[in-house]
Order: sequence, then structure tokens, then C-alpha cells
Amino acid sequence: MKLTTKFTLWYLAIMLVVLLIGGYIVYYEIQDKISSVEVARHQRLNDLIAEQIRSGRDYSNHPTRKRATVARIPADSVPKGVSSYYTRGIDWNPEFQANEYRLMVTSFYPINGKYYRITTYSFIPSFYQLVPGVVNSFKWILLLLLVLVIVSAGLIPKYILAPFQRTLKVIQSFDVKQQSAMRLAETRTSEFRELNVFLQKMTEKAREDYQSLKEFTENASHELQTPTAIIRGKLDLLMESEIRDEQAVLIAETQNALERLSRIHASLTLLTKLENQEYAVTSPVCISALARTALNSFEELIQMKSLRLDTRIEEKVYVSLHPALADLLLTNLISNAIRHNADPSGGSAGWISVVLTNGGLVIGNSGREPQVPVMELFQRFKKGDPGGDSIGIGLAIVRQICDLSHFTVGYQYTTGMHVVAVAWTARMTASNLLQNSSLPLREQLQP
Amino acid sequence: MRSAAAAAADGAGRDEFPSGFCANFALMKVLIIEDNQELARNIRDFLGREGYICESCETLEGAREKLNLFRYDCILLDIGLPDGSGIGLLQLIRTEFKDSNVLIISAKNALDDKIIGLEKGADDYITKPFHLAELHARIRAVYRRKNLGGTNIVAFNEISLNTDTFEARVRENLLETTPKEFDLLLYFIVNKNRVLSRQAIAAHLWGDYTDNLANFDFVYQHVKNLRRKISNAGGTDYISTVYGLGYKFNSHQGA
Repeated sequence: MKLTTKFTLWYLAIMLVVLLIGGYIVYYEIQDKISSVEVARHQRLNDLIAEQIRSGRDYSNHPTRKRATVARIPADSVPKGVSSYYTRGIDWNPEFQANEYRLMVTSFYPINGKYYRITTYSFIPSFYQLVPGVVNSFKWILLLLLVLVIVSAGLIPKYILAPFQRTLKVIQSFDVKQQSAMRLAETRTSEFRELNVFLQKMTEKAREDYQSLKEFTENASHELQTPTAIIRGKLDLLMESEIRDEQAVLIAETQNALERLSRIHASLTLLTKLENQEYAVTSPVCISALARTALNSFEELIQMKSLRLDTRIEEKVYVSLHPALADLLLTNLISNAIRHNADPSGGSAGWISVVLTNGGLVIGNSGREPQVPVMELFQRFKKGDPGGDSIGIGLAIVRQICDLSHFTVGYQYTTGMHVVAVAWTARMTASNLLQNSSLPLREQLQP
Repeated sequence: MRSAAAAAADGAGRDEFPSGFCANFALMKVLIIEDNQELARNIRDFLGREGYICESCETLEGAREKLNLFRYDCILLDIGLPDGSGIGLLQLIRTEFKDSNVLIISAKNALDDKIIGLEKGADDYITKPFHLAELHARIRAVYRRKNLGGTNIVAFNEISLNTDTFEARVRENLLETTPKEFDLLLYFIVNKNRVLSRQAIAAHLWGDYTDNLANFDFVYQHVKNLRRKISNAGGTDYISTVYGLGYKFNSHQGA
């Protein structure tokens, strides 16, 4: 739910409660006001009647006496401390022939040593009759508020939350690898300013940490090269001296380990370079030609493993990729397909299929079931065959290249068949390619 | 079929006959500009056994002094030196000592370095950690390209390789080699009498990047095929297996 929607709903709920309470307050206020005005009027009338009595003239037919009752009362029945009181209630109104709400004010006056009780009354609108009016007016207020709140909920956030939205946009595109500091727009809202300052600090820290880690990795990588080169050279020289067989084995094993070390190292350095975006794309590369070259260079290996190679390479497929990376991508995928192919001693002949179209590249091969979920093979040092000789970084490099170039990559294993698909465009994803390709490949599997 | 001129030009295979013909390589003077002494010594030892005259220095300053005093056939230049980048020196070498071959040795393996290095006139580029045999093969390849005036024949006894046409012959018989086998044979002949590890051969044939440790099987296959083809063409089987380590091209065997 959007922040503004949440705010609006809360605001509406509060508004409703306030209006209900407000309604009650207004109702009682009006009731009270009407009563007090009526009471004041009647007290003035009572005072007037008392003046008339005091003057001694006969006012019995005067309009003031229409709803007045004047009574002489004994002194002891005059209530103490109170000169006047009022009562109200429903009573019969003979003029309108209806039960109506009546307000009656009774006042006591000592006039010329005698005590009088003067009572006047009038019929006023019932308070209950006010309720619809109050409700109605509040209904209109509520409606007006609703319209305003909804309209403002649509408009105001655009202005108030604009700095927040801008910040959000900037941090969404933030990447620790980026070279320049994150630039957040100025804002006058103090909360957003605080947020921006915090984000600025945090991202700067992340960027610095990443940079120093990267530098460390790079330095370590460079510094490691020389000792490795020395060891390798010493072993090369040692090999040529007079050595016994058991020493030869020791040297060979050392060399194997060293080879592994230097390959891991080279691959990691390469991955770092990919991450650093050192391979900027200058112009689209014709991957069709590169694919042919790559396949040619692997021809001998394919023959040696007696694999059947099926290719369907579309002409003039151009992708925006650095030529070195395109080559790396193809080489890694094809060599993987060769290396992890079906064991020729297993009886069934292995095969490789390479399909290159404008949509993408699909490389399939026969092979044993991998021991880990196939998508995990894209992680560094994940191997389908733990005992194998590979270091398990080829597909990680493939993935890195794909990520950089905004290609999608997918891997599928179905009964003896491995398929890796790379889709060049976002429209056609790798999973599409996998689905489209699985049928013809399966047919190839069972000739 | 082999003319005297071709025999004179190759020199490579004739170490066992110390005649003037082999002076090309045996007297090659190499300057190693490398700040790491151990590595420099490795290279010196290895190339020294080939009969090359090697000198080394550790700084740009030292390199300039040496370059002013002597002429070198080949200069091995480390890019990262304590007193600056070797790229600067490269320009000097290219303007003042045009004849020298320059091979860049770098720990960085950065694409930029490679491109800049080659643009500024380096003849080749090798990345640490390298096999000494690989370095040697590169030195020879560069030297062959520049100094033998277009005669790109590498020969050893009855075997001759044309590095332009990629044709390998045993006497007159053309060997039907695949590109990799040709490459392998050339590597063997250049590094004859040396033990070549499977790793060095794999790295030479397939480069650094592919995750190809399992290529040792292919190395075995290639060597096997190559030996068979040479034998079938009537050549001597110079290549022997070195127990546990790899292979060796023996110049003293048979013939």
C-alpha cells in the first residue's frame, strides 16, 4: 500500500471520529444556546410583569399576560437563594393542538412587601428536531472534506514527497562499483535532508569499502603473480636436472597444484576485471564469425572425444559485446560442453549442439546428471562433478559476462541432456530459449 | 628438397653442430629488465642453457645505462618497475634501438597494458606466471618474425616447419598436421632437449583463460598423434615421455 493511501485512510478515520464527536458537541451547544436565549427572554418578560404589578395598574388583558401566571405566595414558600428557575418538557399546546416542547420560567419577586410568583412559558422547537439538521450539515462537511482529502492525497505527495522520490530513484540506481559519489537533490524538508545526509554517508562508506577491498584484491592479485611465476620457473628448471622418478612425481604434483592456483587466480582476476567494467563495448561484434572460429579451434578436441557436433549458426548475428568477452563466452561454453560430455566408455555416443540465432545462443550436450542443482553451477567454485579436474569457474565467468551485457542466461538438465542458453535481448529470455530449444534437441538425442 | 639456404637460415636444429649457422640464436643477447631478482635469475638460467647471453637489471635507470652501452637482440621488459612504468622505456627503445625485439612481461594482464604495449611497439606480451619454455618460444617467434628476413623455416634434422604456411615436412613428405599439432611440434623443436610439462604444453596450446585443467588428456592425445604421424612419414621419433612430468624432444636420440 502506498504511503499516501495509508495516510489518507488514517486521516479519513480520524476525520470521521472527530466529526461524530463534533456533531454531538454542536447538537448540545445549539440546544444549550436556544435554552439560554429563551430563558433570558422569559426572565425579561417576568421582570416586566413584575414592574407592571409594582405600578398597581391593571394589566390583566395586556399581551404580556397571554402565557403568564401570576400568583401571590406566602413568604415562607419563597425558595431561598434562588430568584428564578426554569423547567422544560413535552406539554400539550392547545394553540397547535399538539404535544410540543415547552420551556417554562418561574421567577419570584417581593413587591411592596408581598411575594409574587410569576411563571411564563413558550413552546420551542424540540431538540430532537435539530438532529437531522446537524447530521445533514455534518454530512456535507464530511463530503467536502472527503473530496478535498482525496484530491490532496493525489496532488500534495507529488510536491511534498518529490524529494523523497528523487532520493529513492538515486539510491535505486546506486551501485557500490560506481566511480563517482551519489548525488542527491537538495530539499528543504528536514526529515528528507536528514535521510539524504545519512544515505550520502552510508553509500560513500560502502563505496569506499568496496574500493579499498577491490584495490586490496587487485594488489594481492598482482603481488601473487610474481611469486607464482618464480615457483613455476624454478620447477621448470628443476625438471631439467637429474631427478629420480619419485622426485618427478613430487614435481608433477607440485606443478598440478601450482597450475590450479594460477588458474584460479587468473579467473578471479578476470572476474574482478569484468566487475570493474574494464571491457567497454565499442561496437557490436559479429558473434556468428566468432562462433565459427571458436568451433574450429575446438574441432580437434571434439574429434578426439568422438562427439557428434550439430551446428545451426545464423549469419550476421551482431551483439554488443567486447570481442574478447564474446570469445571468452563462446570458449567457456563450448569447452564446458566438450569436457562435461558423456563418457565415451559409457557406450552412448556423445553429442554437442550449437544453435546461434538473433535471439540467442543455445548450447546443448549429452552428459551425466549433475550432482548439484544446475543453476548453482553459475556460482563460483561450484562444480557438477566434485571429483573433476576443473576449478568450477567457467560458468561464473559466463554469468558475469551475461550480467554485464544484460543478457539472460539459463541452464537446464533433462535426462542426459544439458542445455545452456544465453539470450541477447530482454524480450526473449533464456528460459524462452530453453523451452523452444528443448524439443529439437531431444530429437537429436534419440536419432 | 632442403636447400643450403634454408639450412643456413634455420640454425635452430643444429645445436649439435656448433657451426656458424647456428650463431643466430646461440649468440642472441637478451636484456632482462625485471625488478624481481629471483624471476630474472630463472629466465637467465633457462635462456643461458640455450646459449643466449643474458644480462639483467632491476630499474629503468639501469636499463637506460645498459641500453646506451650495448645492443641487445631481445629485451624482456617488466611493466611495473620500482622507478616507473616500463611503457616509457618502450618508447625510447623503439626510437633509439629499432632492431631490438621487445617482449613485455606483466603481472597485470590488463587489457589496456596489452594494447598500449603493443601499440607502442612491443613485439609480444606475456603474463606472469608464465612457463619458461613459453617465454622462450615467444622470444624465438618474435625473433623469427623480425630477423630472418621472411624465411620462416624452423628445422631440425629431417623435420622442417614453415611458420608462414603452417606446413610441416619430414624430408619431402608433407605431414598432415592439425593446427594444434603443428603448434605443438614447433614448441617441441624450439624447446628441444627440455622437459616440457603437460601444464606448459596445455597453456601453450589453449591459453590461460579457459578452465581447462582436463586438457591434459588432450595433450596426451595430441602428442600421441604427432608422434604417430612423424613415424608414419618416416621421421625419427624424437619425442619421449618423461616419467610423471611430461615430454621431451631429444635431439641426441636416433638420427
